[in-house]
Amino acid sequence: MSTLSLTKTFGITRRWGAFYDRWLRRRLPPSDRIVLEQRRLFIFPTRRGFFFMLTLLVMLLTAINYQNNLVYGVTFWLSMVFIVTVHFTHGNLMGLVLQRRGGLPVFAGQQAEFVIRLVSGKGQGHRSVRVSWEGSDVFSDVVGEQPVDVSLFQSAGQRGWHYPGRIEVESTYPLGLLRCWTFVDLGLRTLVWPKPLPCTLDQTSRLEQPVGAIGHGPGDDDLSGFRPYQIGDSLRSIDWRAYAREQGLLTRLFHSPVSDHRWLDWSLVEGDRETRLSCLCFLVFEYHERGDEYGLRLPGYQLDIAGGDRHRDHALRALALYGLETTETER
Amino acid sequence: MSAGGMLSRSALIWLCIGQVMVLLPHLERLPLWIGGFMLLAVLYRIGLFRTSFNPLSRLLRVLLMFATAAGVIASYRTLIGLEPMVALLVSAAALKVLESYKDRDGYLLVSLAFFICVTNFLFAQSLPVVIYGLVTLMVLVVSLIALNQVPGSAVTRTEFFLAGRLLLFALPMMLVLFVLFPRIDPLWSIPSKSGQGITGMSDSIRLGDVSRLSRSAEVAFRAQFSDAPPARSDLYWRGIVIDQVEGGTWRRSASSKPRPPQMTLKRDDSRATSMSYRVILQPTMQRWLYALPIAESNSPGVVATADLTIESPRKIENQFGYEVTSWAGEPKEIAAMPAELERAMAYPEKMNPMTRTLVKELRAQYSEPSAYVSAVLQYFSEKPFYYTLSPLPLNDRNQIDRLLFETREGFCEHYASAFVVMMRLAGIPARIVAGYQGGELNPLNNAITVRQFDAHAWAEVWLPNLGWQRVDPTAAVSPDRIRLGLEAALVGESDFLSDSPLALYRFRHVAVLDWLRIRYDALAFQWQTAVVGFNNRQQLDLLKGWFGEIKVSWFTLILLGSWAVVLAPLSWMMNRNIRRSSRIREEEQFVVVANGLAKRGFNWSTGESPQLFLQRMVAVLEPDDRDLEALQKSVKDLYQP
Repeated sequence: MSTLSLTKTFGITRRWGAFYDRWLRRRLPPSDRIVLEQRRLFIFPTRRGFFFMLTLLVMLLTAINYQNNLVYGVTFWLSMVFIVTVHFTHGNLMGLVLQRRGGLPVFAGQQAEFVIRLVSGKGQGHRSVRVSWEGSDVFSDVVGEQPVDVSLFQSAGQRGWHYPGRIEVESTYPLGLLRCWTFVDLGLRTLVWPKPLPCTLDQTSRLEQPVGAIGHGPGDDDLSGFRPYQIGDSLRSIDWRAYAREQGLLTRLFHSPVSDHRWLDWSLVEGDRETRLSCLCFLVFEYHERGDEYGLRLPGYQLDIAGGDRHRDHALRALALYGLETTETER
Repeated sequence: MSAGGMLSRSALIWLCIGQVMVLLPHLERLPLWIGGFMLLAVLYRIGLFRTSFNPLSRLLRVLLMFATAAGVIASYRTLIGLEPMVALLVSAAALKVLESYKDRDGYLLVSLAFFICVTNFLFAQSLPVVIYGLVTLMVLVVSLIALNQVPGSAVTRTEFFLAGRLLLFALPMMLVLFVLFPRIDPLWSIPSKSGQGITGMSDSIRLGDVSRLSRSAEVAFRAQFSDAPPARSDLYWRGIVIDQVEGGTWRRSASSKPRPPQMTLKRDDSRATSMSYRVILQPTMQRWLYALPIAESNSPGVVATADLTIESPRKIENQFGYEVTSWAGEPKEIAAMPAELERAMAYPEKMNPMTRTLVKELRAQYSEPSAYVSAVLQYFSEKPFYYTLSPLPLNDRNQIDRLLFETREGFCEHYASAFVVMMRLAGIPARIVAGYQGGELNPLNNAITVRQFDAHAWAEVWLPNLGWQRVDPTAAVSPDRIRLGLEAALVGESDFLSDSPLALYRFRHVAVLDWLRIRYDALAFQWQTAVVGFNNRQQLDLLKGWFGEIKVSWFTLILLGSWAVVLAPLSWMMNRNIRRSSRIREEEQFVVVANGLAKRGFNWSTGESPQLFLQRMVAVLEPDDRDLEALQKSVKDLYQP
C-alpha cells in the first residue's frame, strides 16, 4: 500500500511504471463488472489529513505545556476520530459495483464518451464517489436502489479501437482526511471513425477495372473485354474457360458499377491511406444523409450496395479498422 | 474533496457557524471589536453568494491584516500572553473567512477552529463550558462532512448522526488514552494568562475592597472533608497575612518566608487534633492557597510559610487541587520570629489622634493584653456600629477616627483594620488576615463550596504564652455574619450578588431548583477533581490500584486491545452491510447463468439488457431447458424491487 501511495504522490519512472502496471493488472484484473472489495481498496491520509495531524500535534503540545486535561481529552478524541474515519472512509467505497455500459463511436480527434454504471452495494449507499481518469472526472452520490450512470470523456486520437484504460474510483468521505481509492479496468473501449474530410469521387478515371471482391459474381454485369492476367486480379475474374482452351490466363473486364456512382471506391479518391479513409468516411455520411444506397470498396474488402443505419455503421467500422492489427475479437 | 475544489454554499455556512461558535465563549476575554470583526467577515462572505458584494481586493485584505494586528497590540499593549494570542488566532480566522473560496481554505478554517475551541479550555473548565465545547466539536466535524459532500447537497440530520457516530466510536479509545497517557512536565515555558476578569482577593486591602467581592457568587474553591466538616463559625479559611500599613492601605510584607522547623506543631500533644480535606481552588492568579489553620500539606507544589499559611511557588493560573491537614489545638508551641512581631507593632505616628486617646484610656483600665482585647471587642459590640456592604466612604488620612466616631458603619475589613490599629497603638502585636469565612456544605459529598461573597477579613493578635490568636471584630458587630453567613447578616441590601444576577445561588428558596443545585454542585465537584484535576499522582494511584504494578508493555497491550474492541466490530459492521445487500447476489447469480449459456454458444452481449437476453433465449431454446428456467428465475429476481 505504501509503494502505491508513493508512486501516486511523487510520480514514478517508466520502468517502475511498467512494473506497477503489471502488478496492478494482476491484482485488479479487468472485468466488465467489478465489486469493490477489501483487497481492491487502498487507503492513505490526504494532504489535509497530514495537516490535521499537525494541528493535533500542536494541540498535544498545548495540553502538555499547560497541563490541561480537557485539551488532552479533545486531542485524544480527535485523534481517535481520525482512526475511526479510516473505517468509515473504507466502508464508504466497499461494495460499490461498477459496470461497463459501453461507449458511443466518435470521429478521430473528438471526445469519446464512456458510460459507467454505479450500483449501490449496501444499505446506506456510497457518498461522494469520484470516478475519473486523466482529464475527466465525475463526482456523485450512489444512494438507493437506482443505479447511477456516469460519463467519462477522453479525447480519441486515431481511428481504430480506443482503450481509455483504468478508471480511478476514489472517495474522501466523510471527513476528507483520508483518501480511499482503487483502479478498475472495466475493459472499456470504443470505435473511433476516421475524421471526415470533405471531397468528391473522381468519376472520370478508370471506369473499368477488375472486380476484386468476394461475393461479386460476374452474372449480371456486362462483359466488356479481356486483358492478360496481372498479379492481384481476383481468381474469380479469370476466364477459366479460356484457360481450359489453353489461351493462357485472361482476366475478364466488366463495366464497373462505379459508373452508377454508387460505389465508394478506394481507387476513386486521392491521397495517402488516411486521407482516402477520411474522404470515404465523409462520403459515407453524405450518401447516408441523402438517403442514397451505396457500397464500399477497399483493397481486400467490399461491402455490398445497401442503405440504412446498420449499413452505415458497417461501412464506418470497416473504415475505422481498415489495415489495423486489432480485430474485434481482441480483448 | 469536492468537485473543482470550490467551497459549496452549505459547507461555507457551516464553517461560518463553527467559527462563530468557537468565538462566543472567548468574547468575555477578547476586545469587543474582534467579535464584531468576525461577525462582519462571516456576513460579508455569505453575502458574496448573493453577488451583491464584490470580493475584497488583495490590497484591502493585506491592509485589514495589519489593521487587526495593530488593533490587538493596541488592545493589550503586548503580543505576549495567552489572551493576545487567542485574539490573533481569532482575527486570523476572520481574515481567512473573507478569502475562503476553495475547499482547502475550508480545511484550514476547521483546523483553526479546532484550536481556538481548545484554547477556551485554558481559561475555563467547568461542566457547562465542556458541554458547549462538545457541541462545538460536533458542529466542526459536521462542517468537515459538509466539505466532502457532493455540491448541492444540504447538511441534514444524517450528517449530524454521522458526526455523532464518529465521535461515539472514538470515545472509548479516547478514554483509555486519557487515563494511560503519561502526564509529563511542560516542555517549555508558555505565555501565561493576564488574570483579567478574575475575581478574588488581592495582596493589599483598601477599605471597601472586600465588600466588592460580595457582589459575586462565583466559586472561589471547594473543599471536601474526609470526615464531618467543622461548624460554620469555625470555618476561617486563611489566605494571606497582611501586616504592613501605608496610609490607608494594608499590604502584605514583601515576601513570606518558609516555615521554620520549630514552628511545626508537636504531633504527640494529646490536645492536637487534625482534619484532612482536599481543596480544589479556582484560578486566582495569586500564589497563596486557602486553608483552615494551622495548615500543612504534602501535595506537590505547596509550601508552608512562616505566617502559618500555605502557598504555591507559582501563580495559580489554572484550577489547582491540594490536600491539606489542619491541626486544631492550642498553638502555644508556635514561636513567632522577632522581625515578625516588630512588623506587627508598627503604626505611623500622628494619625488618628482620637483613636489614640481612646486606646490610651482603655489600656489604662486593662493592663492585661487579653483583657484589653475583650474590652475593645466589647466596645465594638456595645457602640452602635452597623455592618453594611455600602458604608459611607472614608478619607485616607484619619479614616479610623472617622469610622469609630462619625460614620460607625463598615464591612469586615473596616472593623478588622480598626481593631488591628487599636491593638498596635496599645503595643500589642496584631495583623489582618484575609481569606474566606463560612461556605455552603453540600450534604451529598461533604464538600464545602466557598464563594466570592464569603470573602472576609479578620485579625490576629500575639498574646504572650498563647501565640497568635484569631479575633474577629466583625463577629462583635454582627454575630449573624459568622453564624449564618453574609446573606442573613445583610437582609435587604441590594448590592449583595449584584454581579451575578442569574447565579443559581440566588434561587435557593425554590425547592426544586435548590434540589437540582445541590446535585449539580456535587457533580461539578466530581468533575473538577476526577477529570480537570486528574494529575500524575492520581494517575499513578489509579493505575496501581487497577494493575498492581506499572509496566509499559501492559499499557501498550491495553491500548491496542481497546482499539481492537472498537475497531473490529466497526469493520465487521461495514462488511456485514455489503453481504446483506441482496442486489449484488442477484446480479452475480445472473452472471453465472449467462456464463453457462455462453458455453453453449449463446453469448450475452454487454449492451443487451438481461430482459432482452431472456426474450432472445426464449425464442431459441426449448421451453423445458434447465438453463432457460434458471435464466427466467434470475432475471425475475433481478428486477424484483
